[in-house]
Amino acid sequence: MALLNVLQYPDKRLRLKAANVLVVDANIQKIVDDMFETMYAENGVGLAATQANIQQRIVVIDISEDKKSPLCVINPEIIACEGTQYEVEGCISFPGMFDKVERAEKVRLRALDRDGKSYEIDAEGLLSVCIQHEVDHLDGILFMDHLSRLKQDRMAKKIEKERARAME
Amino acid sequence: MNIRAAAAHVISEVVTQGRSLSDCLPETFTHFPEQRDQALLQAMCYGVCRRYFYLEALLDLLLEKPMKSKDHDIYALMLVGLYQLSDMRIPDYAAVAETVAAVIEFDKVWAKGLVNAVLRNYQRHIDELQVELEKNAEARYSHPAWLIGKIKKAWPANWESVMDANNQHPPFVLRVNQRQGTREHYLEKLAEENIAASPLAETPFGIVLDEAMDVNRLPGFQEGFLSVQDGAAQLAAELLDLSPGMRVLDACAAPGGKTAHMCEQQPDLLELVAVDNDALRLESVLENLERLQLHATCIHSDAGMISEWWDGKLFDRVLLDAPCSASGVIRRHPDIKLLRRPEDLEHLAKEQLRLLTALWPTLKIDGLMLYATCSIFPQENSQVLKQFLAENPDAVEEKITSGWGIDCEIGKQILPGMHGMDGFYYARLRKRQL
Repeated sequence: MALLNVLQYPDKRLRLKAANVLVVDANIQKIVDDMFETMYAENGVGLAATQANIQQRIVVIDISEDKKSPLCVINPEIIACEGTQYEVEGCISFPGMFDKVERAEKVRLRALDRDGKSYEIDAEGLLSVCIQHEVDHLDGILFMDHLSRLKQDRMAKKIEKERARAME
Repeated sequence: MNIRAAAAHVISEVVTQGRSLSDCLPETFTHFPEQRDQALLQAMCYGVCRRYFYLEALLDLLLEKPMKSKDHDIYALMLVGLYQLSDMRIPDYAAVAETVAAVIEFDKVWAKGLVNAVLRNYQRHIDELQVELEKNAEARYSHPAWLIGKIKKAWPANWESVMDANNQHPPFVLRVNQRQGTREHYLEKLAEENIAASPLAETPFGIVLDEAMDVNRLPGFQEGFLSVQDGAAQLAAELLDLSPGMRVLDACAAPGGKTAHMCEQQPDLLELVAVDNDALRLESVLENLERLQLHATCIHSDAGMISEWWDGKLFDRVLLDAPCSASGVIRRHPDIKLLRRPEDLEHLAKEQLRLLTALWPTLKIDGLMLYATCSIFPQENSQVLKQFLAENPDAVEEKITSGWGIDCEIGKQILPGMHGMDGFYYARLRKRQL
């Protein structure tokens, strides 16, 4: 296992679209394992492969308190949505940035697990938000894209300032 | 094989696999029997690493959309192309044509147009691009942001000159084997062979050559008249104040430059024990000693696990050349800028303190320990020693009074380029009776 390097906004590679995984083989499983390790190390509840500069449709999620409920999501499809919710989100590619984002309240997810087997789950609350947030990553969409122009600009400026301060 | 393609492959290994240049460059040499080709390949690989953060920012301005990670080879190839255009004395048309031709080797014919367009656009818009890059600190200093921050914080008065020195080509420095002759004598020998050289100040046996060359072409190299070693590393042997009959430990000895120097400095040591945890690199210590006609007891072990290798006989002198970030030798190993991560410093400081603490009991009362790193960060130097001194009341600092370097809270620092030397840190600890 190895820790992966997580791309930080404004890295343009966060905008790349990921390709479907053709076969879930040992290589893919290694990526999944490394992604879990990286996500736990970064104290995140989800990580998309795109954030680790791997352009394949792989997501790992664990929203549990004790970090013992890993969910491996390969080639995800959101096949149904219902309702709306408006909750605060953050992202490990945007350290220290949080804002409220509008999402579907419930989603039905279809995906492959770590063994390549297809499954479907119904998610709501935090899990639903997390799935939508991570699937967005695979399409090069970031949570800030859901904010108003004004908020986006403010967030970009804040990040630019933090980067400059890191060099002081 | 195309040299540009090989260079791109090496760069890609460094960036994506975290391998060092000295690890992955030699294996590509097998494809290039001609020394001239090897030299060009090496110049490109080292050059791209040296200028990486400039070239990366430049390429990002030229690319309309970022490259996928599976195409990192093409990305690296474009960096190699840009480096030739911006820094090398290769005619532009040749640089572009050869770089575009290299695409074939990656089986990605689609990228030909992209590589060609990027390099041509660079030529067309060079002035605007320069203006744009001036605003980017990473590009301007060709260092990653975190490293710029650390250097600024550690050396507020010298940070710019440190980064400037890091981006220079290193001098080629020799150490004359004092067992075999004097520095003056060897300088005469070099003059006879028309090799331009001068003595290196602050060292009794150092010589700087005006240009790097194959060591095997230096007179007397095989016979052990000299070694290749930076001036800063040549200061260690003298700081240890060696006398006949002493038992000396060189912990973390590989590749053995300082080991050999200690033998040269004091041939009548009772014993010199050289420990290293890397068997392959320990081989090179043996080879070096053999060439110089010197002897030391070489032991393969983690120096910090004294129960595994120590026979219980105390040492009069201990040299601990501790594993470190190597932030002082970036000019020799520019890939360090790509390989290090900010969190490394914390782990290294722990390891340094572990080694100090483990080796301290092997030192006699009144004995001297020399702590050395090629790092410029207090986090790995004076702060480690400060903690060690606080935990070990029988250890006292013995000030280094030499004229070189900068006095730190504890020990002395040479910054890269200072006195023509690599960045290095030394501190001496004396063991007292409690």
